[in-house]
Order: sequence, then C-alpha cells, then structure tokens
Amino acid sequence: MSVFHLTIVTADGLYFDGEAQRIIARTIDGDVCILAHHTPYLTALGMGECRVTGSNGETRRAACIGGMLSVMNNEVNLVATTFEWAEDIDVNRAERARQRAEAMMQRRLDAREYELAQAKLKRALTRINVGK
Amino acid sequence: MKEIKLRIKSVQSTMQITKAMELVASSKLRRAKERIERTEPYFNIVHDTLSTIAYGKRDFRSPFVEPREEIKKICYLMIAGDRGLAGGYNSNISKLLESHMAQHGKPVCIMPVGKKAMEYCQRKEMEILTAQYTYVEDVTIGNCFEAAHFLADEFRKGTFDELYILYTNFVSMLTQNATEMRILPIPYEKSEAKDDVRSLVLYEPSPEAVFNAVVPEYISGIFYGALSQSWASELASRRTAMDAASKNASEMIEDLSLKYNRARQGAITQEITEIVAGAEH
Repeated sequence: MSVFHLTIVTADGLYFDGEAQRIIARTIDGDVCILAHHTPYLTALGMGECRVTGSNGETRRAACIGGMLSVMNNEVNLVATTFEWAEDIDVNRAERARQRAEAMMQRRLDAREYELAQAKLKRALTRINVGK
Repeated sequence: MKEIKLRIKSVQSTMQITKAMELVASSKLRRAKERIERTEPYFNIVHDTLSTIAYGKRDFRSPFVEPREEIKKICYLMIAGDRGLAGGYNSNISKLLESHMAQHGKPVCIMPVGKKAMEYCQRKEMEILTAQYTYVEDVTIGNCFEAAHFLADEFRKGTFDELYILYTNFVSMLTQNATEMRILPIPYEKSEAKDDVRSLVLYEPSPEAVFNAVVPEYISGIFYGALSQSWASELASRRTAMDAASKNASEMIEDLSLKYNRARQGAITQEITEIVAGAEH
C-alpha cells in the first residue's frame, strides 16, 4: 500500500513523525479516513478515537481531543489539543475524572459551568473507551 | 577598618544571593529549553498551516483573515517576567511596546502576562483587557486555550482590530531578542510554492466552521510557544545578569580586602613606630 508522511503534534511534543498508510480520526463532523494522495484538505477535530496504521501495517489507537487535521501535498499534519496513545492512558485517572464530572453535573449549575462539566465528562469517556 | 570589614561582609552576602539565583536560573533553564524543543514542531506546523490557508482563501470570507479597513484599536499580548534582576529582559519588552505604539499611534489595550508587564501597564495607566494571567510561571496550556478563546471572541466582537504578541525570542544562551508578531488578522506571505495548493483545499464541513474552530487553536499555539520562548529567555538573561553580578562582587571583595589589609598593615606599622619611639625616650 502506498504511504504518506504523517506528523502528529501537540503543544506537549511530537507523537508521530513518519510514514503511514492510513489515519482515521474523529472530526467535528464525524469520522474521516485519510489515505495516501488525498486532496488538500482541512478540518477541525472533535473528541474521539484516532487510529493510525503505520507503514508496517500495524495499527495503533489513541485518544485525540480537539485540534485540526490538514493534508497538503501528500503530507498529513494532525495538530491536537491533547493526544494520547492507548497504552499511555491512565484508565483509573480517567475513571476518577468521569466520576468528578458526573458529580459536578448533579449540582445546580449555570449554562457555562454545565458546558464545562459536560466537556470534562466527554473527555474522560473518550479516554476510558480508548484506554480499555 | 571596621567599615571596610562590614562592607566586605555585605558584598559577600550579596554575592551569595546572586550565585544562588544564578544556579536556580540555570537549573530551571534546562527544563525551559526542553519545553521549547517539545513545543517547537507544534508552533511551526500550526503557523505554517494557518498562513497557507489564509493565503489560499478565495471562496469565503473570514473575519480572522481580512484586514479591517479602519483600525480603531490594537491589542497587545505582552509577555514579560514575574521578577526583576534579569538584565534588560523586562525593559526590552516595554521599550518594544513603546516604539510599536509610537509607530502606529492608535489607541491600545493590553493583555499583560507576568507581574512586571502588569506593573508596567498599571504605571502607564493603559487599558488592561484582563488581569487573569499575572504569573508567567503558572500559565498552563489550559490557560492558553482559555485566553485564546477569549481573544478570538473579543476580536470577532470588534473590541480590537489587530492583535500583536510581544515576546522574547530565545536565540541562544547569550542572545535573546524582544520580538513582535501579528496574530490577527492572520498574516501570510505570497509565495509561488503555495500557489498550486491555494484553490484546491477542501474544507469540511465548511470553511467558516473550520476557521472558527481552528483559529483559537492557532492563537493558543502561538501563545504557548511564545510563552516557552519568553520563559527560557528570562532565565537565560537572569543567569547572565547574575553571573556578571557575581563577578563584579568578587572583584569588589578582592579590592576591598586589599584595602583592608593595607589599612591593617598601616595600623600595625604605626603602633610599632609608636612603641619604638616610646622606648627611645
């Protein structure tokens, strides 16, 4: 299978820099799959699982939250707000975060606080799903 | 004699402080440099992608890209240090701000980051947009995102028409440059290489939606990158300044000990002369 150059970065560092066959990511509009020689493309990322198939055919999973995905000249850049490989996720911590967020949502909150709690819950759930 | 002795003591204790500060700055600097290395690819990719897109925009309009016809107010995101004793670090940033303001001659509002930036704005009685980020050392990535969303919203509302960031670029241990950069509207350079890409980019779901989601990301990326650069610069310039101070102190101690020894020798000689004179009589 033909490959393309993929870079995955966050403000925390470089997570992937090399050849890949395929990347699947959740955008604000749903899941997309990018293969080699994709047309120039730009989209914003939502929260969800991201699957990267490297040049050796091995697929790695990760929790990817926020950011953008761009394709230019067969170069794919994934710039995420947070990005964690499945094996690096601390499921217990995510579970605690989920409980905290749920407890927060039980209380009476104004719209903004509610939104924040909801976002926290979503992040925790994404991590838990990928980490398991 | 007693005076000189006291003086030596005080210089010695000052030297101790400057030495300690130098060591603290060096050890923190190592971590700050690691942070720069980690954030650099992010900073570059975000910046490149956005300027390519801004250049390629053709089939849509975005308030984040179009330069506004009338610039009523300019906003500065000013990053300085929390503490002084860092050579020219803080004053270079404020000098840059002043020269920039003089050049444009427009009303300004400031978002100061760092205690020194805050104090400066209060002293000059400038309009402060938010005083939330007073301590540079405590600003996290999360804070950068918050600030970016806030700035993007204010920009869209028309609170200001241009956004600049003032930070100190970390070139090397010995060189740091105060730098300004335009964040909004997104700057772009014309180039041949980008021409083939420009009209073909596919945006999903729509260019506007993508832009609205991506611009805060871009601002916070630049903000965080600039913050890391500034933080390292502050430490490096503090280290240099403290190194110079320690050297001066040790020179001074040498000088003073020489004077002290001379004075002591003089006193002894005088005493001997007096005793001898007394014995002769």
